[in-house]
Amino acid sequence: MRERLFGKLLRGTLPMLVWAAHFGGSYVLVAAQCSPAGFAPGSPHRLPLALMTLVALAICAALAWRARGTLGGGDEQTALLDWAAALTALLAFAGIAWTSVPLWLVESCA
Amino acid sequence: MTMTHETTLPSSLPRPAHELERLKKPWRRPTGWRYLTRVDNTSIGLLYIGTALLFFLLAGILGLMMRTQLAVPDNTLLSAGSYNQIFTMHGTVMMFLFAIPIVEAIAVFLLPNMLGARDLPFPRLSAYAFWAYAIGGLAFFCTLFFGLAPDGGWFMYPPLTGKQYSPGLNADFWLLGIGFIEISAIAGAIELIVGILFTRAPGMSLSRMPVYAWAMLVVAVMIVFAFPAIIAGTALLEMERAFDWPFFIAERGGDPILWHHLFWFFGHPEVYIIFLPAAGMVSTMVPTIAGTPLVGRRPIIVALVVVCFFSFALWAHHMFTAGLGVMTMSFVSAASMAVAVPTAIQVFGWIATLWRGRVTMNAPALFLAGFMFIFVLGGLTGVMVALLPFDWQAHDTYFIVAHLHYVLVGGMVFPVFAALYYWLPLVKGQRLSERLAQWAFWLMFGGFNIAFFPMHVTGLLGMPRRVYTYPAEMGWAGLNLASTVGAFVLAGGVLLVLVDVVRTLRRPEQPVGNPWHAATLEWLPTEDYGTRSIPHITSADPLWDQPGLSEQVEAGRHYLPGTASGKRETIATSPVSGKPLYLLILPGDSWLPFIAAAGTAGFFLLLTVKMNLTAWACGIAAIVATVAWLWGSDRKQPITEARVSDTLVLPVGARGSASHSWWATIIMLVVDATIFASFVFAYIHISMRLEVCPPPSASLPELRWPLVSGALLAAGSILMLWARRSIGRRRLPWLALMATGCVIGAFLVDLHGYDLAGLAPRAQAWSATIAALLSYQGLHVIVLAVAGPYLAARAWSGRLSPTSRATLDNTALLWHYTTLQGIALALAVHLVPLLME
Repeated sequence: MRERLFGKLLRGTLPMLVWAAHFGGSYVLVAAQCSPAGFAPGSPHRLPLALMTLVALAICAALAWRARGTLGGGDEQTALLDWAAALTALLAFAGIAWTSVPLWLVESCA
Repeated sequence: MTMTHETTLPSSLPRPAHELERLKKPWRRPTGWRYLTRVDNTSIGLLYIGTALLFFLLAGILGLMMRTQLAVPDNTLLSAGSYNQIFTMHGTVMMFLFAIPIVEAIAVFLLPNMLGARDLPFPRLSAYAFWAYAIGGLAFFCTLFFGLAPDGGWFMYPPLTGKQYSPGLNADFWLLGIGFIEISAIAGAIELIVGILFTRAPGMSLSRMPVYAWAMLVVAVMIVFAFPAIIAGTALLEMERAFDWPFFIAERGGDPILWHHLFWFFGHPEVYIIFLPAAGMVSTMVPTIAGTPLVGRRPIIVALVVVCFFSFALWAHHMFTAGLGVMTMSFVSAASMAVAVPTAIQVFGWIATLWRGRVTMNAPALFLAGFMFIFVLGGLTGVMVALLPFDWQAHDTYFIVAHLHYVLVGGMVFPVFAALYYWLPLVKGQRLSERLAQWAFWLMFGGFNIAFFPMHVTGLLGMPRRVYTYPAEMGWAGLNLASTVGAFVLAGGVLLVLVDVVRTLRRPEQPVGNPWHAATLEWLPTEDYGTRSIPHITSADPLWDQPGLSEQVEAGRHYLPGTASGKRETIATSPVSGKPLYLLILPGDSWLPFIAAAGTAGFFLLLTVKMNLTAWACGIAAIVATVAWLWGSDRKQPITEARVSDTLVLPVGARGSASHSWWATIIMLVVDATIFASFVFAYIHISMRLEVCPPPSASLPELRWPLVSGALLAAGSILMLWARRSIGRRRLPWLALMATGCVIGAFLVDLHGYDLAGLAPRAQAWSATIAALLSYQGLHVIVLAVAGPYLAARAWSGRLSPTSRATLDNTALLWHYTTLQGIALALAVHLVPLLME
C-alpha cells in the first residue's frame, strides 16, 4: 500500500507485539517444561524466562524512550500514531513487568 | 470566509436536472414478498437488529423459567433434564444468537452512514450472513420444543458432550448450529474490516474516524483471530462424535483440556468482542450527551487496541481449576489483572467527558449511567476472580454467575439499550418516550441489581451453578427468591422498552434531523441511497466543526451527488488518509443470498436429523445459488472512469491489491490459516501428552510421499502464477485445469502415504489429529477442484479480462495458500515427533 498501512500499524502496535511474544513465550516455555514428557517436570528452569523478560522490558523501554517527546509534550496536534507508539510502549512495559512477577514468587510447576 | 469555504466545496450548484432521479432509481427498495431480496445495509441492519432482539427476548424467557424453578427450594416445576436444556440454551442463545449478532447488526446499520458511505462494500455478503444466522438460529432454537436442545452447558465441555455421555442429537445441534453461526459472524467481520478501511468519506483519516468505527475495526480483527479456534474445536468434537476419532477421550490418548483451550481461546476474547462495540457506542454517545468532544480520544482508541491484545492472553483464566500448573496460571492471572488498565483508561475518559460537559439526563444518559455503575462492579469482581486462590473457591458457584452477568449485562445490554434510545430516531424520525424511559430504566437497573447482587452471596455460601434445585436446609432460599423477584422486575423494564419501541415505530414518519445535536455523520439527512452527496471531512466531529455540512450534503455540494454508472455506487478511499481512490460499483438486490443462506442452513440442520435427501437438495440449492451469485459478479465495468466532483475523476473499480475483494480474500485466508493453526495446536497438544511420539501403534509415512506431494502443490501454484499472466490467452483455462490436476494429485499422494503408514484415526488421538489436519487440507482441495474448472469456464465464456480479473486473482491467492498449508502440514507432522525426542 502506498500509504504504508502495515508499517504504520506495526509502529503503533510493536510494543504490544513484544508483550504478546513475551507472554506467549513464557507460557509455552513453562508448559513445555511442565508437560508429562517435558524436560523439567516439577521445577521449570526460570533463568531463560528471566532473560526473556529482561530483553522484552529493554525493548519496550527503548520504544518508550524513542516516543518520550509525545509523552512529555504531546498536544492536541500530536498524531494518533505517535500516541499509540508512546502509550502502548508504556502499557506493554507495565504488562510485561506485571506478568513476570510469578517468576520471582512461584518455583514449581504444580 | 464563508465565500471561500463555499467555493472550495467539491461540487457546484446548480446540479443537473434528473441527477437526483437517476440516483434514486438503482437504490429503490423492493417491497412485498420481494423484501427478502433486499441487500442494502439499512434493511439488512434493521432485520438483523430485530432478529437479535427477538433472540434476546426468547433467551430472557428461558432465564425467567430458570429463576422460577430456583425461586423456592425442592421445586419440581422443571425436571433436571429440562433445566439442563434451558440453561444451556439460555447461555448459548444469549451469547451466540443475541450478543455477537446484535453488535454486528448495529454496525451493519450504522457504520456506512457514520463513515459517509452509501453502503458496505459487500452488501450481498451481509444479506447472506444475516439470513444464514436468522434461519439457522431460529431452527436451532426450535430444537427446544422437541427435547433436542443441547444440554451440556453453553461451553459444552467433553467428555460430558462426547458420544458416550451425550448419545442423542442434542450436542450435534449445538456443534453444527454454532459452527454455522460463527461462519456468519466471520463473514460480517470481513465486511466490516473492508468497509471501515476502504469506504470512509474523503478526508476521514484514521485519526478522524469515529471511535465507534475504531472499536468495530478492532472487534472485527478480534473475530478473525478468535473465532477460528471455536470453529476448529466444534469440528473436532463433531468428528469425534460422528467418526469416533478420540480427540477428547483421555483413555485413548485424547485430552478434554484441549477443548477447554480451543473454546476459551475464542470464549474470552468474545467477552471483549461483545464489550468493545458497546464501549465504542458509549464513546459516541457520551460526548453528545455532555455536549463536548470526547476527553482522551486518542488514549481511548489506543486502549481499544491494547484490550484487543490483552484479551487473547486471558483464555486460561477460565481454566484455573483444570490443573494446568501454578506458574502458567499465574501468568494468566497477572494478564487478567493487567486488562483492567486499558479498560480503566476508557472509563476515566468517559467520566472526564461527562465532568467537562453539561450533561442532559435524558434516556440514553440514564442507561449509560447504569452501564458505568454495573460494569465497574463487574470489573471489580473480575479482578477478584483473576486471583487464583479466590477463583479456586468461587469457581462454578453463583459468584461467577453474578460476575459474568454484571460484566455482560452492564457492559453490553445497558449500552445497547442506551443505543436503542439514542439511534432509534434514525429509523422514522421518532424518539422513544422519555417518561416511559424513566420507568423502564429504574425497573431494569433495580431489577438487575436485586436479581444478580444476591448471587455473589449465594455463591460465597457455596451454591453451585447449574443445579436445578436445592434443599431448604442449605439456607439459600431467601437470596434465591430475591433473585427471582429481581429477574421479573428486570423483565418488566425490558418489556416496557420494547412496547415503547413498537408504539414509536407505528407512528408516522417525520424528518430525522439531529435530535441530540450529535457530531457524527449518521445524523446527516439520508434517503434510500444514503446521503445525497458524500461529504468531505475535515474534523473528528464533523457536524460540530463543519457548519452547514448537512445542507451542503443534501444540496449535492460534496462528492458523488448522482450516479455515474446508473448503478449503486460508493467511493473507495485509501485506508490511512481517506483519499478517494476509485468508484466502487455495488451489487443490487437479489434472491441469491437468501437462497444460498436458506440452503446452507437447511443442509446442516437436516443432515443432523438424518433427513439426507432433503438435506442434499438444500445443499445443492445453496451451491447453485452461490455459483450463480459469483458468476454474475466480477463483470466488466460499464464505464472506465467517473466524475465524482467538479474536478475529480476516479477510475471505476480496481485490480489486485488495490481492490476491496483482494483484501476480503486476504482476511478470509487469515481466518483460514488461524483455523489450520488451531488444528496444528491440537496435534502439538496431543503429542505433548505422549511419552513416546509417534505412539507405539502408529507411524509416519516415508519422506518421499510428502516430498512428491509438496512438489505437485508447488507445480500447481506455478501454473496459477502463469495463468495470472495469461489473461486473454487461449492457454489460461488449460493452465487452471492442469493446476487442479496437480492439487488433486498432491492430495492423493498424501493419502496414499498415510495409508501405507497405517494411519488409524480411531485407534488413538494422535492419529486422529493428523486425520483432522488432512481433512482440512482435503476441504481446500475440494474447493480448488471446483474453482479450477470454474475459472476455465469463465475464461471460455469471456468473463476473464484485464478489467474483470478479480476471480482469477483471488482464486490464485487461495491456490497459493493451499500450497503453503499443505507444506506446513507436512512439516508440522514430521517435525513435532523430532522435537519430542
